[in-house]
Amino acid sequence: MEDLVKTKSLWKDFSRELLTHQSKSVIDILKNIPLLSQLNKRELKIISKFAYERTFEINEFVFEAGQPGAAMFIIKEGEVKIVKLNELKEFLEIAILRSGDIFGELALLDSSPRSASALVSKPTKALAIFREDLNNLLKTHPEIGGKIMMHLAIITGQRLKTTTTHLVQLENEYNKLKGLLNDKQ
Amino acid sequence: MINNERLNRSRVFYFSLFVFFAFAFGFLLIVLQNLVLPILMGVLAAYISLPGINYLKRKNIPKSLAIIILLGVFSIVVFVIGQKVVSAIPSEKENLELRIQLQYKLDKNFLAFLGKENYSSEGNIIDNLVGDELNQMFQSVTSFLAFNENEVTEFQTYIDSSLVSERILFFYIENLKQPILPAPKVENAKDLNYQSSDASNLNSKSNSKISLFLKAISTWIILPFVFIFVLIDEGEIKSFFLGLIPNRYFEMAFTTFTNVDKAIGNYLRGTLLQSSLVGLIIFLGLLLIGFKIQAAIFIGIIAGISNAIPFLGPVIGLGTGLLYAIIVEGIDPIFPFLPQNPLVGVLIVVLIAQFLDNAVFQPLVLGKAVNLHPLVVVIGVTGGSIIAGFWGMLLAIPTIVIVNVVISTIYRQAKAYYIIY
Repeated sequence: MEDLVKTKSLWKDFSRELLTHQSKSVIDILKNIPLLSQLNKRELKIISKFAYERTFEINEFVFEAGQPGAAMFIIKEGEVKIVKLNELKEFLEIAILRSGDIFGELALLDSSPRSASALVSKPTKALAIFREDLNNLLKTHPEIGGKIMMHLAIITGQRLKTTTTHLVQLENEYNKLKGLLNDKQ
Repeated sequence: MINNERLNRSRVFYFSLFVFFAFAFGFLLIVLQNLVLPILMGVLAAYISLPGINYLKRKNIPKSLAIIILLGVFSIVVFVIGQKVVSAIPSEKENLELRIQLQYKLDKNFLAFLGKENYSSEGNIIDNLVGDELNQMFQSVTSFLAFNENEVTEFQTYIDSSLVSERILFFYIENLKQPILPAPKVENAKDLNYQSSDASNLNSKSNSKISLFLKAISTWIILPFVFIFVLIDEGEIKSFFLGLIPNRYFEMAFTTFTNVDKAIGNYLRGTLLQSSLVGLIIFLGLLLIGFKIQAAIFIGIIAGISNAIPFLGPVIGLGTGLLYAIIVEGIDPIFPFLPQNPLVGVLIVVLIAQFLDNAVFQPLVLGKAVNLHPLVVVIGVTGGSIIAGFWGMLLAIPTIVIVNVVISTIYRQAKAYYIIY
């Protein structure tokens, strides 16, 4: 009888430790993401309940360009390359993402097709957060959902500004080159 | 080469695992078939209650308290309605009296329909044309109401103890005058063989009732537990099943699951709301035409539940209402302009309920969620009744809708995610 009690409490302690450890590490990861940085521990714990952990092998696609987006991914460990096929059917590397980085976040807004593919370049563990869960969160915990959506809008706005700056720079360079070519002729 | 071998081994492993679990699941399903319905009902109740839980959560009520509140509300509703329904179920004596009354009224209405004063007199044109055929049909219907020898003796004891009102006694004597005399039923012979003494018979009867009650309790006790645990779940069940899905199908599986969940949830909640509204309209209508509150609740519930069965449902509701209207006496409509004849009243109430159902409730509540071809509906309902009787009829259309939603969503998503062409 005593043995049984011991075994039970041992199992209880073990499972509790395992569970707290798991959710703690997920919360720690979530805490360091700019998109969720303004959430407190209690709010992060709620988010961690629908953060699905997945393990990917090298050369596996997390998602492919053209597929409808449903989830945002957070890299727990490993490396993912954002790639896009060019006209010669070769993969062009757009970005390399590592632990703590997020990708596919626009899927949190709508289900429009992915603009690029995510290819795993090192064994990776990633957390997936789905738009539908976020929509439900907006109903059940509007204050948390609101904060995330607000920050997502800010991040998207910042990226738009950066892209616009890049576009202006490229246009200037193009005009410069065009001017040089005209001068030579 | 090594990879190929590993791949083949994996395939064999997963296939064996699948076959093993399929067999184990099938075996459990057969062995525990009595638990299937309570579990399904528990999941269904939880599923329907989810928006309620979310609403309470939004009002800053903790989830556990919200579940307790919902469970309390459910228990009270089931208890109150159950009590009303149980009180509407007649006792042994009332049952006999009801049958006498029903037989008398049916006889009277049948003779009036044929334009006769009694069975030997001349009738109208219907009687001349198909009188004999109708008479045969009518006899087969009323034979269900006829007393067997035991019941005759039992009723005689009630008469001897002056427990029967004069009105019922009058009906009883009138019934005996008619050519459709109470004939002992076939099962009566069996009853007589079993009967050694009244006391032992009574004992075994009550014993079987208790054992039936205990059996029902032991299987249905699982319902509230299923209800609570499905509601307590914070996505662990979904997470477990998604964990089994390979990465390639992960996003697709989640989207499919969510879409199916939404469609089925909306459909089930819609159907429940629609049936409740129909039941409520019939209940209120029957109250207005002067039915007793117990009878109105009882018929309202039957009409509401059976309304989920397309085509046949309204007929069941109407039939129950008409049956009551035939035997009931002294009906006083609340307003003088309402029909005095309860048969006409029931017909109007059911027609209004069906009109509202088709014109308002269905388009408003269900929308285009269930645009099934009428042929599919007819075959589905008939097939359901063959497989599982009343429950089969009731659950046929929801099952077809669910299968339809699952297959069409999987197909759409598999195409969107380039899994099929």
